[in-house]
Amino acid sequence: MTKTIIEVKDLTKNYGDKEILKGISEQVNQGQVIVVIGPSGSGKSTFLRCLNLLETPTSGAVLFEGQQLIGLKEAQLDKLRKKMGMVFQSFNLFPNMNTLENVKLALTKVKKMSVTQAADIAKQQLQKVGMLDYATQFPSSLSGGQKQRVAIARALAMQPEVMLFDEPTSALDPEMVGEVLNVMKALANKGMTMVVVTHEMEFAKSVADQIWFMADGYIQETGTPEAFFTHPQTKRAQDFISKLTH
Amino acid sequence: MPKKKIGVVLGFIFALALTMMPMSHSVHADDSLAQIKAKGELVMGTSPDYPPYEFEATVHGKSQIVGMDVEIGKKIAKDMGVELVIKKMSFDTLLTGLQTGKVDMVISGMNPTPERRQNVSFSDIYYQGGFDILINKSDQWRYHDKNSFENKTVGAQTGSTQYVESKKQIKDVKIKGMTSASDLVLALQSHKVAGVAMEKPTAEAYAANNKSLVAIPTHFDLNASSTNSAVAFQKGSTTLVNQANKSIATIKKEQLVNKKYLPAAGKYMKTNTVNTSMWHYWKAFAIGIKYTLIITVCSVIFGFIIGVILALLRQLNGNPLKNVIRWLATAYVEFVRGTPMMVQVMFVYFGLGLVVNLPALVSGIIAISLNSGAYVAEYIRGGINSVDPGQTEAARSLGMSKGLTMRYVILPQALKNIWPSLGNEFITLIKDSSIVSIIGVTELIYQANIVRSDTYRGVAPIAVIMVIYFILTFTASRILNHFEKRMKHD
Repeated sequence: MTKTIIEVKDLTKNYGDKEILKGISEQVNQGQVIVVIGPSGSGKSTFLRCLNLLETPTSGAVLFEGQQLIGLKEAQLDKLRKKMGMVFQSFNLFPNMNTLENVKLALTKVKKMSVTQAADIAKQQLQKVGMLDYATQFPSSLSGGQKQRVAIARALAMQPEVMLFDEPTSALDPEMVGEVLNVMKALANKGMTMVVVTHEMEFAKSVADQIWFMADGYIQETGTPEAFFTHPQTKRAQDFISKLTH
Repeated sequence: MPKKKIGVVLGFIFALALTMMPMSHSVHADDSLAQIKAKGELVMGTSPDYPPYEFEATVHGKSQIVGMDVEIGKKIAKDMGVELVIKKMSFDTLLTGLQTGKVDMVISGMNPTPERRQNVSFSDIYYQGGFDILINKSDQWRYHDKNSFENKTVGAQTGSTQYVESKKQIKDVKIKGMTSASDLVLALQSHKVAGVAMEKPTAEAYAANNKSLVAIPTHFDLNASSTNSAVAFQKGSTTLVNQANKSIATIKKEQLVNKKYLPAAGKYMKTNTVNTSMWHYWKAFAIGIKYTLIITVCSVIFGFIIGVILALLRQLNGNPLKNVIRWLATAYVEFVRGTPMMVQVMFVYFGLGLVVNLPALVSGIIAISLNSGAYVAEYIRGGINSVDPGQTEAARSLGMSKGLTMRYVILPQALKNIWPSLGNEFITLIKDSSIVSIIGVTELIYQANIVRSDTYRGVAPIAVIMVIYFILTFTASRILNHFEKRMKHD
């Protein structure tokens, strides 16, 4: 039986009077690669950030490995957050630290590893994303694609159960998108559970186990990439796909 | 001798001090004399800027407070069989110092007015002076007494009886008030005022030491109480007052003031005019630099620590307790930023002094640190807010707690962003440290004023400390720039 990593029930999120998420119930199983697509402003990023409670949902439940996150004390939440790696659109590397220190920081401060042990792990992860040669560089001297690969290594170093990607290639120059997607593909092939918000449809088609199509604060439709892209069920999804091809 | 009335600011401190003071001292039997004898020392407060009453002179290369009043104090202490300790303060703060127990008595040519009698006890009169007007010798043909100054400008110490009486008794006069006698003399020499109303012995001393000045009588109508000088003690210390009166009786009987004390003071004043080059006073300036630096460096360190703590408290959010703490920190910052540092310095020295007796230097450092902390807190808060929220999200998503995130991710970046502002604050502190001169800390301004009253040179000491301040601030800003460049590597 497959293990459920994340489950959301009737998730809603309001900003003031504005309803961003209007009731979402889905689950993510171990090893699954979920790609969340949909028009801009449909609430995809907000949804993703509700999964590790960077945004506090207005109502509903978010369960991580069966544990309800909403209402947990900060300290307990911190323990669970480290099991959910997150990669951001704007990289969010720490500009005051070099590449290696970026990856090491949480290992030494959260996992309380020794400096040498943390450095070993950090180097392994940097090696995996092809950034070991840049270990002593500061983020300001790296390209966008390089920064994002370091950010991925930083999240992976914590050995998360699931990786959340929030439009990881949207801020990149076109020629750098490939290097980041390749890292993500390799990660998917190794069986990492992933939830990816992206506009990269080719990536969605080739890597996703499931497409979640979001619009107007709801997940309108879910399905395999083949089913979704060839036979979209809802009107909203059909419009979306037809706009892609034109 | 009436010098100055207590200002509005001091009245405020006074009121606070009085409300805080235990009201029991009039109830108990008076043991003030016994206490002094047990202590073995008698602390005299004085404002040494008024030759020949009290002033600082260089004796054997060391700065020392001398003058007629010092001799009176020595005599009183000797008759009690205790050691005399002299504590210098600005005249405005003397009575507050007495009431808060910083000093045991005040001898500073103080005039026992009925208003002052309400708060302190006075001894018998030890000296009766009078008022003169100091003028430029070149104007001698023009001015003869108070009646010559109709429609002219006369200078007087702000709040002094001379100020009040000149205004009252000279027809259509314009009064220019300044706080220090040496500033007034300078104003006279540069013809900003036609004459300066001051104590007779003081005026004569200035005239004797400066050949271009001359003292003329005022012919003011004065009652005795406004020209008399007496020693002030804490209210109700009868035994102490009685003991002092015995000494004063001897002084009067033997005419010690005119025969011994004033001539002795005059001698010091003469030696002062021999070598008035600024090099001669390098030691005085060196002491000033030392204390200015001590105050600045300590205040920067403590101010920074306080600032970081306040800034962090202002980030608290969540439960009601945290909200209250945040509110208190905010209120503190607003209050400190909204009140003058001078008042804060006085409040710490005199107000806190009621609870713990802190030396002036420590009080000054505490007050300036508390003040600077509020400003630093604002800079840091700005710095924290200037860090991209994405940084917090990234750190939190890695499982770092709020505290770890603040310490390792946000604060280092915030501090780097605000480094120039912090540097500015440091340089401002070098200059602002001058405020503690009012409570008698011997930093640069204080020392410059000592040199001024010592040498009768009004401008040169100011020019010297101006250059010293600039060297200090310029050096500091070069050093800070160096570190700023080094921090720019990323």
